[in-house]
Amino acid sequence: MRKYTPKDNVQAKAYYTDRFWVAPRVPREEVEAATHFAKVVAALGSLAKETYIEIGQLVIHINAGENFQVLKTLKEQCGYTQCSEQSAVDYLAKDGEFELFYQLLNIHEAKRVRVVCRIKKDEAIESIVPLFKSANFAEREMFDMFGIKVNNHPFLKRIIMPDDWEGHPLLKTYPLQGDEFASWYEVDKIFGKEYRDIIGPENRDPARIDRYDTKRFSRIGYEVPFGADISKGETKQPIEYSETFMTNYNKSSKQLDERK
Amino acid sequence: MQQPNKLTPFFENLNFEREDNTMVINFGPQHPSAHGQLRLVLELDGELVTKAYPDIGYLHRGIEKMAENMTYNEFLPTTDRLDYIASTSNNYAYALAVEKLLGIEAPRRAQVIRTMLLEINRIMSHLFFLATHALDVGAMSVFLYAFREREYAMDLMEDYCGARLTHSAVRIGGVPLDLPAGWTEKLAIYLAKMPEAIKMYEDLLTENRIWKMRLENVGVISGEDALNWGCSGIMLRGSGIQYDIRKEEPYELYSELDFDIPVSDRCDSYGRYRLYMEEMKESVKILKQLIPMYFETEPQLMAHAPQYISAPKEEIMTQNYALMQHFVLVAQGMRPPKGEVYAPTESPKGELGFYIKSEGEPYAYRLKCRAPSFFHTGLLQELLVGTYIADVVTIIGTTNIVFGEVDR
Amino acid sequence: MAQHQVNYASSAGLPIALTSVDKLVNWGRSNSLWPLTYGLACCAIEMMATGAGRYDFDRMGTIFRASPRQADVMILAGTLSKKHSEFARRLYDQMTEPKWVISMGSCANTGGMFNTYATVQGVDRIIPVDIYLPGCAPRPETLQYALMMLQKKIRRESADMKKNKKQNLRLV
Repeated sequence: MRKYTPKDNVQAKAYYTDRFWVAPRVPREEVEAATHFAKVVAALGSLAKETYIEIGQLVIHINAGENFQVLKTLKEQCGYTQCSEQSAVDYLAKDGEFELFYQLLNIHEAKRVRVVCRIKKDEAIESIVPLFKSANFAEREMFDMFGIKVNNHPFLKRIIMPDDWEGHPLLKTYPLQGDEFASWYEVDKIFGKEYRDIIGPENRDPARIDRYDTKRFSRIGYEVPFGADISKGETKQPIEYSETFMTNYNKSSKQLDERK
Repeated sequence: MQQPNKLTPFFENLNFEREDNTMVINFGPQHPSAHGQLRLVLELDGELVTKAYPDIGYLHRGIEKMAENMTYNEFLPTTDRLDYIASTSNNYAYALAVEKLLGIEAPRRAQVIRTMLLEINRIMSHLFFLATHALDVGAMSVFLYAFREREYAMDLMEDYCGARLTHSAVRIGGVPLDLPAGWTEKLAIYLAKMPEAIKMYEDLLTENRIWKMRLENVGVISGEDALNWGCSGIMLRGSGIQYDIRKEEPYELYSELDFDIPVSDRCDSYGRYRLYMEEMKESVKILKQLIPMYFETEPQLMAHAPQYISAPKEEIMTQNYALMQHFVLVAQGMRPPKGEVYAPTESPKGELGFYIKSEGEPYAYRLKCRAPSFFHTGLLQELLVGTYIADVVTIIGTTNIVFGEVDR
Repeated sequence: MAQHQVNYASSAGLPIALTSVDKLVNWGRSNSLWPLTYGLACCAIEMMATGAGRYDFDRMGTIFRASPRQADVMILAGTLSKKHSEFARRLYDQMTEPKWVISMGSCANTGGMFNTYATVQGVDRIIPVDIYLPGCAPRPETLQYALMMLQKKIRRESADMKKNKKQNLRLV
């Protein structure tokens, strides 16, 4: 029977998992009263759907539509003046959603907050560039890598991949080694599609060696003229050994002479 | 006139627009002072830059995608290639994120060695900054002098881990090797030499008339803007904001060490250059404190967490259970608990953090590398506007961007 | 008429050096190889280290040039991404004949550890390469050795570039 490979997630999978093994979860702590984080949660009020502390940082789940409002509150009332990271996680295969996160920093308290929201596949998110200019590049990267549209972004354009690229590389449906378009990209662009046959497909096998390739790799042991056709077997060229035989090679010939 | 076709396309760098009398000029991606593969499209009015558009992605290698297809230990050598000027700081930032996820802590000797390596890398990176920045601005001899000291630091790294550039000198849960015999003596010799070298660079540059004219009041960025654009490290401290992750959110041994964080409120390239020099002196101070600390520690190098981390080699070779554990960890990879973590560290360039989302699988579900240079490149579109074209190279140099981590 | 007879064989030797045009031209070519500064990634740092004090690349007659029009050899140091590939080819086209290419580092040779969607799997897909230099990143000594191997290769070539069979990719 052919092995089933799911199409919606083509990333590497563990080849063996114990059926009875349940992955533990990193402990989530409650926000304690009278701490800095408690003030943040109080300032947000009903905007925060769920709050907990995970590995020293406050995580706030919000509705995707209210992201601008929440970040504005955090910036203006709680002192989170830097947005140090913004990106997304692909949960399309599991839930049909993207998870977006905003990583904020308060430099006076040295505290970090992660604001998390989820959007459906075709939904767009409001840009936070008016609040944090650092999101300018980050949102463009998110658009490039995941195809998530950002409303009211000043210049929403591909940033990392070329403008004429097809596909969004960090989606789980995108294979690590690229699709058909990616594998011929540079050949199509430089030489044109008609040169595909001449140049040939990419070699994705890191251990492959073409024995009969005299153009790119020299022959080990002896020389073959450039471009020589050896595809029908190599010319008879026996391995040559040295003529001089050394018996008893631990002793030099002088010692032997002396013994005679 | 050329006949453009697909094979010999007609590309021209210059584009004259008649209406508004501006010129669009292309800078890079192959430009010796673009610090890698930065492409800038500049709109010029005379010699003034009226619009700058940084185009990145010419070194995109899919490292974040690779992280989703590699086990946690497999991915570690890939992090070397992010910020390739100070590789160990990337290794460490990644290892720290995974360790926080696993809830383990490296033993004390490993912490001392890691802190040493991090600071040597900081010196290497700052020397490299000085060399290339001076070369861009026009001081060729500083390049040769700074590379001389950098080679000595690389010799130290080579003695420890065998590689000059891509170290992979940190493992998840500790360090792979103890310091070789006589290494601390060599380090002490290097540290004794370093202040003289720094003094020589300062003599060459700090009061140099040309250097000051090229750097002063160039690339001015206010503290508020620096925060807003996501600047970190020296770009932030050069704008008068005192924030160093080593002090504010200490990791490893930084809470026990005595060092200062230099801050400048000049907000320009010259202030940042001074900060780089001061930071090198602080790194020398830190390393001097670390040498005696090393000898006070127990010789354990890797954390004891058999579920995640292989036992030391002697145990693997002698004890059956340790061998089995090692086999499973190598063949399947460790499975951290479900959860997400963001661990910031102060790399020589700024705040380098790894966001890891784990679903309990041996492969990370999502790994995001928060690279400082990425945000510093974004800043260029505002910082370059209104400056002269001759200062563009100075400003790119002062941001100290490395394209391995910008494009990932 | 000369008043005395010079015995070339016994005094200072013949004031004539006999050589072939090939050897003379190749001697000149191989001893002043000017590389293009084409640093792409990590290997570029090692290329810079080669040019700096300890390794001193200049003593082989190599001076880094920033323009492809002044360069003889392109040292492709680092990962070539697909976005960058057309620029690499264009820079190669801009170099004047005779020209050679050193592919420095595993990424440039085969794609190396970056077996991903974004990396060109070996620069020989787009430009002909003369010397492949393995390593990640290769040490400066290795780059010097590669240059010496290239010099050796040049000395064996014909000075007339038309006679040297190059790969099909060169002139399309």
